[in-house]
Amino acid sequence: MIKIENVTKMYGQTLAVKNISFEVGKGEILGFLGPNGAGKTTTMRIITGYFPPTNGDVFVDKYSVLDQPLEVKKRIGYVPENPSMYKDMKVREYIRFIGAIKGVPKSKLKENLEKTLSECALEGVANKMIGELSKGYRQRVALGQALVNDPPVLILDEPTSGLDPKQIFEIRQLIKSMSGERTIILSTHILPEVSMTCDKVVIINEGQIVAQDTVDNIGRSISGSYQLEMTIDGNPEDVVEIFYQIPGILRVDNEKNIYIIDVEKDKDIRAELARKVVEKGFGLLEFKPRMLSLEEVFLKLVTEEEGVNAS
Amino acid sequence: MRNIAEIYKREIKFYFTTPIAYVVMVIFTAIFGFLFYRNMIYYSNVSYQLMQNPAYATHIDLIIGIFSPLFSTNTIIFLLVIPPISMRLFAEEKKSGTIELLFTYPIRDIEIVLGKWLAAVTIVFLMLLLTVPAPFLAFSFAKSAEWGPVLSGYLGMFLMGVSFLSLGVLISALSENQIVAVIISYGALLGFWFLGWAVDPNSGKAIGKVFGELSIITHVNDFIKGLIDTKNIAYYVLFIFTMVFLTLRVLESKRWRG
Repeated sequence: MIKIENVTKMYGQTLAVKNISFEVGKGEILGFLGPNGAGKTTTMRIITGYFPPTNGDVFVDKYSVLDQPLEVKKRIGYVPENPSMYKDMKVREYIRFIGAIKGVPKSKLKENLEKTLSECALEGVANKMIGELSKGYRQRVALGQALVNDPPVLILDEPTSGLDPKQIFEIRQLIKSMSGERTIILSTHILPEVSMTCDKVVIINEGQIVAQDTVDNIGRSISGSYQLEMTIDGNPEDVVEIFYQIPGILRVDNEKNIYIIDVEKDKDIRAELARKVVEKGFGLLEFKPRMLSLEEVFLKLVTEEEGVNAS
Repeated sequence: MRNIAEIYKREIKFYFTTPIAYVVMVIFTAIFGFLFYRNMIYYSNVSYQLMQNPAYATHIDLIIGIFSPLFSTNTIIFLLVIPPISMRLFAEEKKSGTIELLFTYPIRDIEIVLGKWLAAVTIVFLMLLLTVPAPFLAFSFAKSAEWGPVLSGYLGMFLMGVSFLSLGVLISALSENQIVAVIISYGALLGFWFLGWAVDPNSGKAIGKVFGELSIITHVNDFIKGLIDTKNIAYYVLFIFTMVFLTLRVLESKRWRG
């Protein structure tokens, strides 16, 4: 549905985004993660056609953002971070206006308007000026303007930033209810948001993609290792002895009788490990693969990058 | 077309939900009305004196006595009241950030520019429309109404006003700050005005003639005298077209630079 091809963006001499490529399939929700200033907003603005990339191209539904920007823009609903809307307009009037300039046919405009107002729970404030609304409601109006022409793609730039916990919950519910057929790209630096709502993750740091995978796989695929967790009954000093006999083990941490074992990525040592533990007469109480949480992955990637740059 | 109409409607509504249109129109009509009143009084005094000497009376009429000076002074009033109409069109959208969403909608730059420009042109048109009672009033005292030169004067005022406005629109697209936009508009308009004085047009030098022809004011004089010359219409139309075209280019380059 969306294909980003080798996109680079320079602001004058400053490199904002460097050679980014990824794809999002129809109906997928993609989490776009990265620390502040990593290039998330720049990438999203390129996808929406706000400005063109310095290099590369973006395709939405086969249309190039460089050659057919109007076709691309028709298919995208965009909610910028801190969306600015016309404060002097009433909510209903504003969404109708946006629907009209987004090319919703006159005959369908009223229907779409009412549907959007109810979807975003805006009926109560429909006749209020946008400038008078609280941030939570303004965020809904921003979602409303994105949805009014029923676009197949939604681009949401930090949709929950600056909201209180209740509003965050409501906006997340709203985003979930909007998914289904729609393809959504959602940027954030709040990690639980990604594990809660997204199918796929792209992590970006300093203008470059550092990892992309499904939410489940990402922990394994990006670090050079995967982790196993074992609970073993026995004297820790003796137990640790075993691990040093098995090639492929990079590191072992233990807290009492729970052991976290880092293993080289492509080596499967589970059978051997289990056999050794039992042969030595220890009690193997629990044995499971351990997922890196998104926080760990994220921190690991971002700090590794910094380490590389420092050296 | 629909997009232009939608942008136009929004801008017109903005002019009339905020005080801008009312303030500009009231101040303009008040000044215009006062000048008209002064010219009427002066003209009636002069014509009263000329009645003593009928030989001179044929040399003066309502156009020379009232409307030519009124339209001439109006060029200065326009210079003062038109930049405040154009200053917000783009500067405000850039400052408040609303331009970000506008640029992501499936709408062409030219539709945005034309919608906004037409809305501002409408305000100039309405301003002039509000002064129309003046000639009716003046002609009600005259034996015969001479509408030709008055209409020509109005056409000149409209073309000049829209030219002022279009320059202001361009500057609004260049600036993010409305105050800066309005002050640069004043400066640029005065610059185009003074172009006519830069070199004495009667000095015989070609450059003097060129500068004289480029001046935004010299071309309105024929209209005020009641003379509609295609040369003058062409000047204003070309000036307006250039400004609108440059506005489009500015928006485009802003995008490419991000």
